[in-house]
Order: sequence, then C-alpha cells, then structure tokens
Amino acid sequence: MTATVAAQDRTAPARPRAEADPVDWIGYVFVAFFTVPFLLFNIAPIFFGAYVGFTKWGIFGKPKWVGLQNFTDAFKDEFVAIAFKNTILYGLIIVPCVVVIGFTFALYVNQRWPLSSLARTLFFSPYVVSATVIGLVWVWMFDTQFGLINHYLAYFGIADVPWLTSTNWSLIGVSIASVWWDLGLAFVLFLAALQDVPRDLYEAAEVDGASRWQRLWLVILPQLRPVISLVVTLQMISSLRIFSQVYVMTNGGPASSSSSVIFYMYIEAIFRQHFGYASAVAILLFLMIIVITIVHRLVVRER
Amino acid sequence: MAASLARRINRRLQPFGLRLATLPVWLIGLAIALMWAMPFVWMISTSLKFPADVMTVDVEWLPRRATLENYAKVFTEYPVARWFFNSIFVAAVSTGLNIVFGAMAGYALARLRFPGRNFLFFLFIASLMVPTEITVVPLLLAIIKIGWWNSYQALICQPLTYVYSVYIFRQFFLSFPRDLEDAAKMDGASHFLIFWRIAFPLARAPLIAATVIVFTFNWNNFLWPLLAVSDESMKTLPVGIAAFAPVIGTRTQLEGFSLGMAGITILSVPTLLLFFFLQRYFIQGLSSGAVRG
Repeated sequence: MTATVAAQDRTAPARPRAEADPVDWIGYVFVAFFTVPFLLFNIAPIFFGAYVGFTKWGIFGKPKWVGLQNFTDAFKDEFVAIAFKNTILYGLIIVPCVVVIGFTFALYVNQRWPLSSLARTLFFSPYVVSATVIGLVWVWMFDTQFGLINHYLAYFGIADVPWLTSTNWSLIGVSIASVWWDLGLAFVLFLAALQDVPRDLYEAAEVDGASRWQRLWLVILPQLRPVISLVVTLQMISSLRIFSQVYVMTNGGPASSSSSVIFYMYIEAIFRQHFGYASAVAILLFLMIIVITIVHRLVVRER
Repeated sequence: MAASLARRINRRLQPFGLRLATLPVWLIGLAIALMWAMPFVWMISTSLKFPADVMTVDVEWLPRRATLENYAKVFTEYPVARWFFNSIFVAAVSTGLNIVFGAMAGYALARLRFPGRNFLFFLFIASLMVPTEITVVPLLLAIIKIGWWNSYQALICQPLTYVYSVYIFRQFFLSFPRDLEDAAKMDGASHFLIFWRIAFPLARAPLIAATVIVFTFNWNNFLWPLLAVSDESMKTLPVGIAAFAPVIGTRTQLEGFSLGMAGITILSVPTLLLFFFLQRYFIQGLSSGAVRG
C-alpha cells in the first residue's frame, strides 16, 4: 500500500510537467559530437558518390558531367556482368549454408549438454578475426598439393581439387571460407531466440506426445520466423558486399571467376582511377540490394 | 538384459540431460565443434614450423621441431611492429571517440527533449541500409582533396560513424530508471554533469559490450584502410599482413606458409583473447544490436 502511494507521488507531478517541458537545447550539443562526423563521413559521401557516378572523374583534371553514360557502359561491360553474376552466386551459396548450419549449431548448444559452452565459444570464434586471417589460413588449407582439405579428401578417393586455382572451383572455395567466418552472428542470434522460446511451449507439446521433429517444425520454427527473416536479411546484405575474402584469397581470379561487384569497384577505382565508373557500379549494387530486400520483405509478409 | 542395461545407463546420464539415444548426437556435436576450431590450430602449428617442414606429404599437426624463427623474421624483415602500433592506435582512438560520442548521443536521444530527435534516430538506423562499401570511393576522393590521404586522420574519421554505439546506449537509457538523475536535477546539476558523473558510469554493461564489439570491428577493418593509406609505414596490421597472401605478394610462393601463419597469428590473438574473456558481453551485445560495421 505505502509502496503504491509512494509510486503515485513520484509520477503524479511528473505528468503535467512533462507536457509543458521546455526544450532541452543542450540536447543538440550532446548529439553534435556524433552527428557531425556521421554527416561528414557517412551521409555526405552517399550523396557525393551519387554525383560522382554521373561524372567522368580521373585522378587529374576536372571531373566532367557525362549523364547516364557510366551506367550504360556498365550494362555493356562483360566484367560487370560477371561480377554481378558471381555476387549473386555468393549470396545463393553463403546465405542458405549460414542459416542452416548456424541454426543447427544453435539447436545443439541450446540443449545445454555438458561442454555446450565450449562448443558455443568454438562456433562463434571465427567471427571475431580479420578477413586477412580467414583468407590466409584457408588459402593454406585449400592448397592443391599440400593442403589439409585435399589431404583428408584423398581418404574418400577425391583427388587434388584445385580449390582456388581453377575457374570452376574458386567461387566455391571462397564461399566455404566465408561461411566459416560469417556463421557466428547467425548462430548467436538463433541461440538468443531459442532461449526466448517459452519453456511451457515445449512442455505442452511434450504432453501432447509430439516427437522431437514435430516439436521443431510445429512449435519452435513458427516462433522463430522473425529471427530467421532477420538473419537472412543481414547475411544477404553482407554476402552481396563480399570483398576482403576475395581480395586476400584469389584477387578475383583466376580469370575473374571469383570476382565480386565490390572487388570490381575496387579495381576500377584504384588501378584504373575510373572513380566515376566505380561509383556507378557501387550505386547499381546498392539498387540491387534495395530491390532484393524489398522482395524478401514482401515474400515474408505474404506467408 | 539389454533393456535393463540401457535403463541403468540412462539413469547415469540423466543428471547431464543426456540419454542413450542422444549420446551419439552429443559426441558428434562436440567433434564438429572441435573441427570448427581446427583452422586456428593449424595456423598456430604451421607458424611454429621451420619453412622446410611446412609442405609435407603427411599432415603433421605438431611441428616436428618447433621454432619461433618465423615470428622473429616477421618482426625484423617487415614493418609488423609499426603496423601493430598503427592498428592499436587507430582502433583505440576511433573506438574511444565513437563510444563517448555514441553514449552522449544515445543518452540525449533517450532522455532529453528537443525537436528533430526522432528524425535523427531514424536517420541513424536508415543509414544502416547503405553498405559502407558504397561510401568509400567518394570518401577517398574527398580525403585526397583535403590532403588527408596517408594520414591517421583518414584512418580514424570513417569508423567514427558506427551507429551501433548510439543504438546500444539509447536502448539502455530507455529502459533504465531515471530516479538518480531526477534527484540530481532537483539539486540543480546540469545535464552535462548528470550524464558524465551519474548516467555514464551506470551504463557499465552497454559500455563494455560496445567497446569490445566496436574495437573488434575497428581492429579488423579492411576496405577503408586499404584505400585510405598506401605508405608501408601507415598501413594497419590486416592490410599489411594481407601482402603475405600468395596472390598479392611473392614471399609465400618462395618460402611457404609459415611466415604468413605467424603474421595472422599475431593479427588474430588480440581479438580472440578479448572474445574469450568478455564472451558474455560480445554475445549479448550482438544479439541485442544485430548490427555489423
């Protein structure tokens, strides 16, 4: 009783005061420290990049407005076509693998069997290291002659797969390393969501005599739909941005077979100094990400 | 007979949450978890081998003769010490500034009332839709124009824009009781004093989470440092070590992988240690924020 009175006392005068509250002008000072660099180094470059995409911009001389020419050039450029095709392939390989394997690992750790916290640590650990680490260690493991992977595959009668040195395999090799790297985030997001599934839901299903699989399909998965959708969106965007693994592992090769859009943008900007063209390619990727995200949202809402 | 044995085993396993039927699943899962970490073991093992012992027909998980020669060589023949310093300096400064600025902004967005506050938060969140990769080329042009190319300012300015810290502090202050701050306000303390002496010290959990996560992103940052500097002496560790990749430099083709593995061991140890000791903050921070770079 006294507690409620005290609580009322505290809230009662706060109400009317809140409405007539004067503006906290100091708030602008508080946000300025973050907002000024944010506008300068993040928002301004977006608009500046949109402008650069419509110009011919080399390292010397003045930029020249060329209208849509960069974009029409990009549509005719076969290397842009290859880069976009590869980037979509990366997404189609990496996203399902990360979602399915990450979810399986999360289900396993969520059983809380002995040593499950060790398993959690190991599953997540690749996520915290740099692309250089991922790239170099996998280049070594994928070595055709002396690499670990081919050594153990030989026991199954699979001989000398040229993981990173043939046009047929390089994209798959880079994708495998990327799954190992990226999985940690999906894994912890799934794990957190699984731990939030109310216990009594499991118990009710058990009482009804549902099997393990039925429980998974009918009880748990419907609960997890929002987090699955979130993981798919995040992973899709990060896979379509793929760059550093490609740079370290294959440099886009052999013969552009593992090149990606951002990798091609990097080559155009740094080696050819076609800054306008590079920006146009980046804008095209951004448009593709927006379209894919919207389509994904619509599909999720449909169901 | 068999049935009663099974029952006995099940009783033994029960305290661990296991049954005879789930025992294989448990073991297979553990085996996969150990396999998942094998690339790290292989990395460290190779880094301790003499270059001549690296390319072997049989896999040798333990070096037949261990040596620290590769580490010595990496430090003496390459500016790895300098790259290490650059990485530490850039990551520490940009993380520190990003966290303090982010905490102030997060606090203001949660606690103070001023026009445009919701729009600002919307702008921060909406900017996550635009991949940083889109902004790097125009930002590079701007950096060159103002003479910042190859400088620490260039390396530090871009990671100041990570929205993650604003988000996590705003989230914290929205759900944190404001009694203490109200009491201080009654005593006539200024907003700045309240934030710095009362609110910020209370926000320990988001402070640690944001620090370890943002530091890790900064330590691993790749594309921007690759573009923003080109002098060997200005490179950060990930960009410098990347030159050990066979497709980029020739060193590995000549000497094998032991040098490169020593390089990436040096590169991965700081963030791996940070993660092992502050795992809880890492995982909670990421699953409540769900943001990358």
